[in-house]
Amino acid sequence: MKDFAEQTAAAAAQSFNQKIIELLRKDSGGIISGEELGRALNISRTAVWKHIKALKGVGYQIEALPSRGYRLLFTPDLLIPSEIAAGLATTRIARKIIYFKETDSTNLAAFRLAEQGIEEGTVIIADEQKQGRGRMGRHWESPQGTNIYCSIIIRPPISPVKAPQLTFLSAVAVARAIEATTPLHPAIKWPNDLLIGSKKVAGLLNEINAETEKIHFIVLGIGVNINMRREQFPDDLRHPASSLLLEGNSPVNRVEFARALFTAFDTLYDDYLTKGYDMIREEWLSRSMVSGRKVSVAFEGKVAVGVATGIDEYGALLVQQKNGETARVLAGDVSLVD
Amino acid sequence: MDLKDIKSLIKFVTETDITEFELENPDEKIRIKRGSFHDQTNNQLFQPLMQYNTPTRTEVPALPTESPSLPATLAHDEGFTITSPIVGTLYRSPAPDAPPYVEVGQIVEKGHVLCIIEAMKLMNEIEAEFRCRILRISKENAQPVEFGETLFVVEKM
Repeated sequence: MKDFAEQTAAAAAQSFNQKIIELLRKDSGGIISGEELGRALNISRTAVWKHIKALKGVGYQIEALPSRGYRLLFTPDLLIPSEIAAGLATTRIARKIIYFKETDSTNLAAFRLAEQGIEEGTVIIADEQKQGRGRMGRHWESPQGTNIYCSIIIRPPISPVKAPQLTFLSAVAVARAIEATTPLHPAIKWPNDLLIGSKKVAGLLNEINAETEKIHFIVLGIGVNINMRREQFPDDLRHPASSLLLEGNSPVNRVEFARALFTAFDTLYDDYLTKGYDMIREEWLSRSMVSGRKVSVAFEGKVAVGVATGIDEYGALLVQQKNGETARVLAGDVSLVD
Repeated sequence: MDLKDIKSLIKFVTETDITEFELENPDEKIRIKRGSFHDQTNNQLFQPLMQYNTPTRTEVPALPTESPSLPATLAHDEGFTITSPIVGTLYRSPAPDAPPYVEVGQIVEKGHVLCIIEAMKLMNEIEAEFRCRILRISKENAQPVEFGETLFVVEKM
């Protein structure tokens, strides 16, 4: 695992690459000389050339016109910060983006960086996860170059007791992003699975670091199956799964999706901090597929069957059972019965 | 007496201060004794530790990170209690088929994960805030915990 200093150095290099792309893109199809780029970034022409070479190495097509300069011809669907940051108008979220070509898990990377004190809103994003995971140590299939795997670090000034509310905020943000980038309409399964029809397309896993009265940070992990093809899904999935590509019959640009996601999250998080949880809860309920439906919930080593009547102020699922008792579910697996 | 009756009886006894209950009739004899071994030897301080089942008395290296400080308060004279910072479901291992994070009698370093508490897919790893020996594990796996409820009793090392 890269240490913090290396990660910081990588982030600095990414930042130069990002600025070069921004300058090349400014005048679409235009040509900018190496000298001009060097002046704008306060680096030598040789350094500019090195960055151009690095950009070409990750898939950009940049034409070098002798004695005239550089021209951007093609932008790949790469999750690198320069691409996501271009045109991203958020206030808190993704002002800093750290990209890994591959990592163990973005949640683990985010947790480590958050412990080092990295600022709120930082996003960790990876092209591939070697140990993508879900709850109870379950595996999250994370092939390279096809999906979104990211973790958002926040430090909300709220009591740890209220922290589970962020689970619902995060799920609503993903639903909004799917609607912004596809014609699809996802439903949310309690608490934060995103489904198209009956198939799961996104899974979210959150981790908190807190003491009794204070949250140090929360890591909100988000995995979305974007352009995953049928043969890339493992055979032994617990629940049927799909991708936005398979459900919408059209590939989705990952960079656009990431921008839509961080924009939606930023707006919702601002609403949450200024106006409270109620709006988030309302939107979650309107997008929820379990409200009013008959469900079976495996939790606390038992199974409750009944009608899901809603969620309480903390987000616990309320299930009205046949015997008249209402089960309050804090953690469990929900399936629809009918 | 069938299993259901015995369950009700146990529930009944648990809701009182009774620590020992015995019922005898010609057909059967039922004896309910409450509390862990440690509870009953509360005043003997750490001496009963010798009798604990200590299968994994291994030293675990500390994580190279600043761990969150957790509420640890002095409880009676038996050690420190570690309480739950949130409402949720407690898991004693990272996965259903994985071994528990800790067992009674084990000595763990600062930063060692003791359990996970989950609430609405938000995971809270409870870590040891100092080097300690686990004296008691107050909760079973996959059981609900309330805010401030005792999770572990530990001896500061």
